[in-house]
Amino acid sequence: MVAAPSAASVIALVEEHRPVGPDAFLLQLALPQLPDSLAPGVFAMLSPEDGSGPEIARPFSLYDCPGPNQVSFLIQTLGCGTRALAALPPGSAVRCTFPLGNGFQVAAAERTVVMVAGGVGSAPFLLYAQKRVALGAGANTHFFFGARSGERLYDRQAFASLAICSHFATDDGSLGFAGNVLAAVEAALADNTIPAEALFLACGPAGLLHGFASFARARKLDAWLSLETYMGCGYGVCNACPVPTEAAGALGAWPYARTCTDGPVFSLRDIQF
Amino acid sequence: MLRTQIGDLSLPSPLLTASGTFGHDPAALAFLQPGDLGALVLKTVTPEPRPGNPPQRMAEFPGGVLNAIGLENKGLDYWRREVAPQLEQVSMPVVANAGGHSVSDYVAMVQAFSAMRGVAAIELNLSCPNVQGGIQFSTDQNALAEVVAACKSQAQKPLWVKLSPNVGQIQPLAIAAAEAGADALTVCNTLMGLLVDWRRRRPILANGTGGMSGPAVKPLALRLVWEVKQVVDVPIVASGGARCADDVLEYLVAGATAVQIGTASFRRPQAISEIAQELRQILEQEDLSLQELRASLVWPNPVSC
Repeated sequence: MVAAPSAASVIALVEEHRPVGPDAFLLQLALPQLPDSLAPGVFAMLSPEDGSGPEIARPFSLYDCPGPNQVSFLIQTLGCGTRALAALPPGSAVRCTFPLGNGFQVAAAERTVVMVAGGVGSAPFLLYAQKRVALGAGANTHFFFGARSGERLYDRQAFASLAICSHFATDDGSLGFAGNVLAAVEAALADNTIPAEALFLACGPAGLLHGFASFARARKLDAWLSLETYMGCGYGVCNACPVPTEAAGALGAWPYARTCTDGPVFSLRDIQF
Repeated sequence: MLRTQIGDLSLPSPLLTASGTFGHDPAALAFLQPGDLGALVLKTVTPEPRPGNPPQRMAEFPGGVLNAIGLENKGLDYWRREVAPQLEQVSMPVVANAGGHSVSDYVAMVQAFSAMRGVAAIELNLSCPNVQGGIQFSTDQNALAEVVAACKSQAQKPLWVKLSPNVGQIQPLAIAAAEAGADALTVCNTLMGLLVDWRRRRPILANGTGGMSGPAVKPLALRLVWEVKQVVDVPIVASGGARCADDVLEYLVAGATAVQIGTASFRRPQAISEIAQELRQILEQEDLSLQELRASLVWPNPVSC
């Protein structure tokens, strides 16, 4: 885990919405300033400043830093919080508390990394992939990206255009491997495309993460997850995002960790999941 | 301009954090500007560690949130060792909040907090709706008087008592707490509520019920502040859905001396600084002082029909 630089709560301006699927978009924001170095997996709490959203802001992993003082977030329109963000025209003010949480440690170039994402769970992995390419480690960086259908492999071109090994999987077989993304990972392990000693990172819907956790435990993989839970504040004051800890793990001194400040990236060894 | 006096305690501003909404320690103060926060009211500490409730602990509805955190805290020993020393470096008064199940629990907490240099006042959480036991302290005036008197006899710091809104009549409880020695009354804790996931036929919160907070509770808390002000002379610290300077001024006019900001800090970590700024502007533009606004509410004459 990599701790985020201390967070600031600022007014960001909406620069662009770019649809990336039937139910998702990239929200590009301009911030007054940006920390020099941001770990993949850090997140922001976002809410419309005009009060058109709910009382509680929503957490989103940083997706990309497209330009100076620019950040983008991959957002699936699901409920009132994301709908309110989707409705903001360019120029609108967004309350943005950022950067929050502990991100993924970018592994040394010689170690193989396997990223496993479902749907908008791809969000923390674009930056990760960019950093691996910058290390010259694209060839041993694997990105497994699954969704129900090809059109829900949101912004897949952004990954496909990077010099990493991208593997797409769709439940309906419309693009790439036909089946669950974990089945694609299993097949890649079986044919030695990826080694079991790799660093495995996962982010996605609860079903995928639970499946991934069982899969990783059964094979004793070095596995890390970026969790999403309901969050009240995102900065450690409300205690509404507990995740049960593993007594023998690094967080075992207390029965719960906070997803926002102890995570959202956890080693599977440290949490009960 | 914003300086506020609660009994013997002089605060830089009438804006306080609400217990449980700004953390267990001073870390979140980094979001606020000095001089904007009157006192840092920290999350409830209990004699023993409490893991808190399982998730889901919070849910929202239009106008507010429902929470059942369950007083998660690492207990008094940890707090004394790890948190209390940090409080001595904090530039504004710190109010420690005490929880427990029995009179002896509360007395032990008050004794411990009284001995800590970094603690300026003690708020008794007698009314958390999310834990088992202790509920009689917030609903039974004799039980309330007993625990407050016992704590007062041991308190070396101002003792604030946080009242529950989950009662038929708040005035007898306010009188009981004031007569037993409360130096201030916090009005009020969260309202007990329920949110349901009808598809699963389950409450949304793992605890079942939870405490309501946020803008939706303001009219109710305002009414309680007004009612309490009619029957006690001790200062009232209002708490209930305030999120802007107008809300704060409404509470002051209704009779509060200071106002706690809670749920608003979740979405806006610097809400208290923004409200302080807005408050200064209003007072300057309208040439008003907090002093003249306090308890200035003119009640309408009853009209017979």
